[in-house]
Amino acid sequence: MKLELLHQPDSAVAKVLLDPQEEILAEAGAMVAMSSSIDVSTTLRKGKGGGVLGGLKRMVAGESLFISVFRSGGSAAELYLSPTLMGDILPYTLSGTELVIQSTSYLASTPGVQIDLGFTGFKSLFSGESLFWLTANGSGLALLNAFGSVYEIDVDGEYVVDTGHIVAFERTLDYSISKANKSWAGAFFSGEGFVCHFKGKGKVFCQTHNPGSFGRMVGGKLPPR
Amino acid sequence: MSSAIAYKIEHSPAYASLKLNLKPEQSVTVEAGAMAAMDSCIDMKSKVKGGLGKGIGRMFGGESLFTSEFTAKGQSGYLYVSPGVPGDIKHYALDGSRSLMVQSSGFVAAAPGVMIDSKFQGFKGFFSGESLFLLKVTGEGDFWFSSFGAIIEIPVDGSYVVDTGYIVAFEDTLNYKVEVLNGLSFKNLKTSIFGGEGLVTHFSGSGKLWIQTRNVASFVRFIHPFRPVKSN
Repeated sequence: MKLELLHQPDSAVAKVLLDPQEEILAEAGAMVAMSSSIDVSTTLRKGKGGGVLGGLKRMVAGESLFISVFRSGGSAAELYLSPTLMGDILPYTLSGTELVIQSTSYLASTPGVQIDLGFTGFKSLFSGESLFWLTANGSGLALLNAFGSVYEIDVDGEYVVDTGHIVAFERTLDYSISKANKSWAGAFFSGEGFVCHFKGKGKVFCQTHNPGSFGRMVGGKLPPR
Repeated sequence: MSSAIAYKIEHSPAYASLKLNLKPEQSVTVEAGAMAAMDSCIDMKSKVKGGLGKGIGRMFGGESLFTSEFTAKGQSGYLYVSPGVPGDIKHYALDGSRSLMVQSSGFVAAAPGVMIDSKFQGFKGFFSGESLFLLKVTGEGDFWFSSFGAIIEIPVDGSYVVDTGYIVAFEDTLNYKVEVLNGLSFKNLKTSIFGGEGLVTHFSGSGKLWIQTRNVASFVRFIHPFRPVKSN
């Protein structure tokens, strides 16, 4: 498999060259164009635990992920993948490590990487958007997408990041999610909804723009649905 | 054939803008409302291209009814043209031998010798939420088209599959067919509907194809949940 990232950082697109009988997993809907010899199948990933009811609840909360598997046949093939929003694509190589990915930041991964619905998300009280996380294990490549550009923070000690700006972080970090402001009124008026407190040593990948803020800015000007 | 129009595409691929340098008495047709700035010697005339009937045809094509014609009077002048959506612009020189099919919102500008026809796709685009309306561009001269995100040129020789929402333009030497991914069986239908992989267009033959790196329909689906909810 060969990977080329084109038109970074604003209009990034991943060009994947598959050898015969090779496959790549991608978020359903990420396919732009491909050789006609590629075979596609889509599966639904749901979170673990909570039994049937828990699973249903997660589906209702939007905590599910459709993943498409693209498989080349007897000949080499090419495939273009792109995210929804304007911005960059970040390739991250896993080698037995674990990465926590914001669900909307997942674009694609090679078969050696296991993607699971990680820990229970939460619903933002202010916007109603649900935020949930995926965990990536194993070894291989994960492609992540960002709204805007990506920057990396090497945490050694403690760090605070707004949840809307997190693309992914290494699982060597401990984290806890809380309100940015001590009082609920303060959290409401400051516009900083929730933040993630990181502790330990590891990398956090951030995006320069917050999809939620952008969505509220544009969506708020539209007629009610 | 009128002489070629001098041009420069700036700030490509994310925020492309087209800068045209019109010679005295040279004209260009531009998408209505796309003019950003110009020298004061340039004269603007709104018009319904190809008569009212064809203009209405273009309305069905998702394209605005009116285009504007810009003419440099007496001296040469610059004209800046900006598409409505941030993205890229590409130039295509029509030589009369083949025509170009362009996604309906992709028209930016054209030389006077170029004819633009909306071709109602009817059944071909029937199932797609993102309707595939195409403009058929024929004649001779310069033509510019735009995209959402960057443009990638794919020289098709054989066959190729493109998500319908990512098509920008293609040469009409290519055959195309809109279909559910990998044929219409129940299993594949499931893949298409739940998989977010909408309808795809299957191209075959040989010719050039241009695709864009972002999809307007997906972008709108992202914005939709942020709309206020009706309270009653």
